[in-house]
Amino acid sequence: MKIIALDLGSRSVKIAISDGFLNDYNIYDTSSFFSDCGKPGIDGFKLDFEKFGLEKDARVFATGYGRNALSIASATVLPEIQAHALGAIEQTGLKDTAVVDLGGQDSKIIWLEDGRIRDFFMNDRCAASAGRYIENMASVLGLTLEEISNYYELPERLTTTCAVFGESEIVSKLARGADKYRLAAGVNLQIVNKISAKLANSPVPNIVLVGGVAKNTAIAKLLAQTTGVPVVIPKYPQFNAVIGLINHSASF
Amino acid sequence: MNDKIGITTTIPQEVIWAAGKTPVDLNNLFLASELRDSFLNRAYRDGYPRTTCAWIAGIYGAVVDSENIDTVIFVTEGDCSNTHALAETLEIKGIEVIPFAYPYNGDSHLLRSEIEALARHLDTDMFEVEEWFEKLKRPRQLAAQVDYLTWAENRISSLENHLCLVTSSDFNGDIEKYCESARVLIDESSERIPFTVKARLAYIGVPPIFPELFDFIDSSGARVVFNEVQRQFALPFFDVDMISAYASYTYPTKVFRRIEDIIREIKLRRIDGVIHYTQSFCFRQIEDLLFRKFIDVPILTIEGESQFDLDERTRIRIESFIQMLADRQ
Repeated sequence: MKIIALDLGSRSVKIAISDGFLNDYNIYDTSSFFSDCGKPGIDGFKLDFEKFGLEKDARVFATGYGRNALSIASATVLPEIQAHALGAIEQTGLKDTAVVDLGGQDSKIIWLEDGRIRDFFMNDRCAASAGRYIENMASVLGLTLEEISNYYELPERLTTTCAVFGESEIVSKLARGADKYRLAAGVNLQIVNKISAKLANSPVPNIVLVGGVAKNTAIAKLLAQTTGVPVVIPKYPQFNAVIGLINHSASF
Repeated sequence: MNDKIGITTTIPQEVIWAAGKTPVDLNNLFLASELRDSFLNRAYRDGYPRTTCAWIAGIYGAVVDSENIDTVIFVTEGDCSNTHALAETLEIKGIEVIPFAYPYNGDSHLLRSEIEALARHLDTDMFEVEEWFEKLKRPRQLAAQVDYLTWAENRISSLENHLCLVTSSDFNGDIEKYCESARVLIDESSERIPFTVKARLAYIGVPPIFPELFDFIDSSGARVVFNEVQRQFALPFFDVDMISAYASYTYPTKVFRRIEDIIREIKLRRIDGVIHYTQSFCFRQIEDLLFRKFIDVPILTIEGESQFDLDERTRIRIESFIQMLADRQ
């Protein structure tokens, strides 16, 4: 039987229709998902099953911020940390590792030991170690997200740890003649430094990098450099939690 | 001076009772009020930086906007240095502020002289104060009994434990009423079926700005069976004199004494994981690294600022943490 797996993130909703494999998947902007893919009800959001070509009795598995907003009979909710752990193991086979998920507003580290979650960290009160920071800084630098991900050499030192005030730091450095591409490398290093500091107390043999920011190859390179361990990017970094849900659905 | 005296944190309340006055824990006054948002706004309007701990800003607003608090005892050592500025900004509003210091190392002689100074200031004496220490044993023993029923018999909810212990800093200004509600809780709980949970938790750190946390933990299948600082507020030291009891009180002294207490209770209460609550902009956020160094069960650190409802981010973490602990068993 087909299932629908949803990772309802802060910036985007990742969805897969699956019969056990990731074979029909898509990303929606969070606001367009809520306006186009169903409608709000008194007891929560009603998913439009027809839109996804699903029978009414299809099983629903959900994770991410919006997961509790979905009111669908028999929907199974899995916390994000568990979904990412299962997804990373499924995608890489690594059972002793740290899964680093860098999303729109979130950064998470999940330490796995023999396939079980030993500990986890999630950022709080600040999105400066997540995708939104890179988006804002890329825009100030006049670079696309693809372009900024090319720069990791000779990073300019940046100190502002705020995804908003970071803009004025970049602007003032540009005004003083700083090299735009070294600033781009500095932005990528800012993200990596925050994550590396958390990894330093609990070393791991390798790192699995997932989430939208995993598409930024400069970050993967800098993360490997600063931690001294290999960084593995699975085939579907943005769908890692969704793959975890599909894996989880097999136990039902 | 009217009959109420505000306190910025737990102090030897015996002195206030002995002086014929009633203590009001300003933290509880702030958080329990429907006006708590406007108390915060009052502080910000009067110039408090937005990056001030919400407890400090809220206490300021609560005192300034309340008509019945004209005297505040503030802790100059053993709490945070924000309290100094709190006292100074209250003083210029016409509030009488009286300092009290806990010796950093728990020194009994220094502690005695601090309590004596406070007693002199409030026109009472140590004889009266010691008598009140004996009188307060009854509510404190009831609080300890509620705590015992929580972890040893699994009959008390996380929130009930929290409320019973946290309000022992001033017994809500009515000792008889406090004792009565503790007795009712103890009686009621004897008819309850003991709970079984996915995880037994410790809550360490200052009380949360969002008490909803406790019911959320219970509804997620876990239970707080150790509220660390709240238990200290109830002064659970019964076979000692007053000075020794307050010298044993861990909250205002160096963090290592708290860690010793936490480690001992984790073992006794068979605790699976610890939730460490920190307040935004608080120096205690640094101490998180010390708890992680010495405590050998998993720790989840959460942070509250000035929102009184439990935010979605914190809920996600708690759910994941409880699930992680359940999966380990």
